Amino acid sequence: MVKIILKNKEDTERFGTKLGKILKGGDIISLTGDLGAGKTTLTQSIGKGLGVKDYITSPSFTIINEYKGRLDVYHFDVYRLDDVDSLYDLGFEEYFYSDGVTIVEWGNKIKELLPEYTINIHIDRGEGIEERVVTICGQGDRFDQIVKELNVN
Amino acid sequence: MKVLAVDTSTVIATCAVMEDENMLGEYSLNQKMSHSENLVPMIKEVLDSLNLKVSDIDLFAVAVGPGSFTGLRIGIATMKAFAHVYDKPIVGVSTLEALAFNLSFNGLIVPIIDARRNRVYTGIYKWEKGLLKNIMEPTAMEIDSLLEILLKEDEPIMMNGNGVSIHREYIKDRLGDKVYFAKNIHNNCRALSIAELALEKKDHMEGVNYYNLVPEYLRESQAQRELKKKESDAQ
Repeated sequence: MVKIILKNKEDTERFGTKLGKILKGGDIISLTGDLGAGKTTLTQSIGKGLGVKDYITSPSFTIINEYKGRLDVYHFDVYRLDDVDSLYDLGFEEYFYSDGVTIVEWGNKIKELLPEYTINIHIDRGEGIEERVVTICGQGDRFDQIVKELNVN
Repeated sequence: MKVLAVDTSTVIATCAVMEDENMLGEYSLNQKMSHSENLVPMIKEVLDSLNLKVSDIDLFAVAVGPGSFTGLRIGIATMKAFAHVYDKPIVGVSTLEALAFNLSFNGLIVPIIDARRNRVYTGIYKWEKGLLKNIMEPTAMEIDSLLEILLKEDEPIMMNGNGVSIHREYIKDRLGDKVYFAKNIHNNCRALSIAELALEKKDHMEGVNYYNLVPEYLRESQAQRELKKKESDAQ
């Protein structure tokens, strides 16, 4: 587990962009945190790091948005889903196990469908308006490698 | 009777036209999931080359899964649309049965399609008196569970399907000498197998039409999913 304190919006953007540059095809990120914690904002920065030129908006209503960057980026928001069945109806496996990068907001709601190697990122508010405390958990070689490349320790 | 058959259950898009016992044409592409762009032009190419029109087709046949969620929807929606427009019969064929149909082997035929996370879509088939019998219903299971079942079998086993390329070494380790793997040319979904099976099945498919034909995704059962949820909650 890795904890990072991001003092302001610029810090958060830098972190997201850096993470986006590190990500490879097949990586999957689950983002959790309260409403307004900055899940979509972080996704925008990750998208920037992945070379997405389009403006990334919240997929709260569409459930999935797709973007083209250096890799295909699939941005999910599963907050509104009643049960995991609805995710089967979307054919989620072809996104999760694709050559693109998948980012799932509220991934904790569908924990049992996420691959073992999912990178879990939790965002908490810190002190002051802009500070965020980011906790990254995961398992496996890919997680270790991403943490190493983030070079936060 | 002319049959147009397609199979888009896996990464392979394949379509074929068969007239009674004669193969008229087959076209298969093994390309990364581009069925939505490829399938209809492929069908057009085959039909054009044969100087046929969609309206000349008497029976539409399609692989109904298990397999890729998106792939199945593309294949089935396309064929249902053709059948609907020309008001012709449509037959759905199991992708696993069609894979097993590719092989003539005296023993158990076990097609495996990769279902990710070490799972496969599989079934067990056997030729009996010239007919392909289904011994174990199509299902989604861990490769380990399948091998447990196969270990108890005395008969020789032949496997094919895209799961073989992923699990070949492991299967060989577990099953040893009693397992054989199909030659590469028999390893993939072929629309001709769908066409021939559809011709055999067409008279026993009462009630199936272009309204009610649906894919067989073979999702995990509710019970399996709840077990998995418990496991992931416990972590």
